[in-house]
Amino acid sequence: MAKPILRVENIHKKFKGTEVLKGLSLTVYEGEVVVIIGPSGTGKSTLLRCINRLTEPDSGDVYLEEQKIEPGKTNLNYIRQQIGMVFQDFNLFNHLTALQNVAIGPIKVKKMDKQKAYELARKELARVGLADKAANYPAELSGGQKQRVAIARALAMDPKIMLFDEPTSALDPELIGEVLEVMKDLANAGMTMVVVSHEMGFAREAADRIVFLENGVVAEMGSPEKIFNNPEKERTREFISKITRLNSVAKDREVL
Amino acid sequence: MGLNISANKVLASIPYLFEGVGITLEITILALLLGTLLGLVLAIIRVYGSGAFRQFAVIYSRLVRSLPLLVILFMLYFLGSEIIDIPAFWAIILALAIHSAAYQSEIFRGAIQSISKGQMEAALALGMSKYQGIFYVILPQALRRAIPYWANEATIVLKDSSLAYALGVTELMRRGEYVSARTSQPLITYIVVGLIYLLLTYVFTKSMARVESKVKIPGLER
Repeated sequence: MAKPILRVENIHKKFKGTEVLKGLSLTVYEGEVVVIIGPSGTGKSTLLRCINRLTEPDSGDVYLEEQKIEPGKTNLNYIRQQIGMVFQDFNLFNHLTALQNVAIGPIKVKKMDKQKAYELARKELARVGLADKAANYPAELSGGQKQRVAIARALAMDPKIMLFDEPTSALDPELIGEVLEVMKDLANAGMTMVVVSHEMGFAREAADRIVFLENGVVAEMGSPEKIFNNPEKERTREFISKITRLNSVAKDREVL
Repeated sequence: MGLNISANKVLASIPYLFEGVGITLEITILALLLGTLLGLVLAIIRVYGSGAFRQFAVIYSRLVRSLPLLVILFMLYFLGSEIIDIPAFWAIILALAIHSAAYQSEIFRGAIQSISKGQMEAALALGMSKYQGIFYVILPQALRRAIPYWANEATIVLKDSSLAYALGVTELMRRGEYVSARTSQPLITYIVVGLIYLLLTYVFTKSMARVESKVKIPGLER
């Protein structure tokens, strides 16, 4: 068995009395691509944010490899360097060019020599197909380009695992493909990834495991074949067919 | 005829008035330097600080903004004569700085809070500390947004520096008073003084607008 990179154990999180995560556990292994799906409000994003502590869980433990993430005890900033995160609305630094956005992490956090950091940033931008946009500011880029820069920014920190929080939800339909393409390349290159997404095509092609979250716990998980073709639970089947239907409706509209 | 001669006397005093401009500018620049620094620190504490610090920033802003500048000035000056001696020149600088810092803290607070939360989250997610996030990500954007509001506050400080005349500091306004007494032409004198203030604020406002467009982030609406 491959070695576990990330272990989430029995996470609980309440927001204003509503329990969003109810004792959720999940282990992600090296090189694995885990796609998390589930109805909205079920805690998918909260789960990702609890992993790198952008949201503080009420209880439960998170381990990155062997290291337990405990704010106050572990150096949270050091842990976060090793966990790349891609947000739904990109969150590129608006005052910096694409190149500077990618280089700022290595420069400020890793104290990398500037020359080297920019070299690295150029490489990462090329990797997401945006070498020619290095000098552009975020406001001058399309949504898809922004998200690819955001992926490059996370990659520049050389993370052990990448978290994607609905990376294509804020994109126009015609821009989704370029981002998914970059993510597939990343998956093929062996990156460990946890992806919250409703892109069933991506899940089918790139996921090693699909996790169906419902009501704050893992309702079911398994290989794409199993989840898509032969789910154990009725709820999983319903959800998959609903999402697939919605996706195909959206595709039809595009064609029209 | 008589008016002409008197007017000429006032005009002849313009170099004397302009020497006062030097002092006015010294007061303004020093007060702005201190006030901006303090205002920025207060704003950062207000947004990112916790407990007592944040409370202090809130109370400071409320308290100072409810006091007339002249009252602050006299308090400082007479505090000076009773405990430690604060020269009139420094009393006006400190009073202006304390006063302006309260308004500036509100300007900077608004600018900081107008930057989307996701910016700080992205900084933290990269492994930056909160301070790195503030200095490398939030402030560069917030300060750009604050420029027009800060520039407005700066012209207020420039004009308020005229209150120094009450302590006998020989800046522009005080010199205006002397010229007015000597020439018995208060109207013309204060028109000239007013025009000088107008000139100063005009040049300042123009150059700040230039700075603003120079540091504008390409492609961004605001």
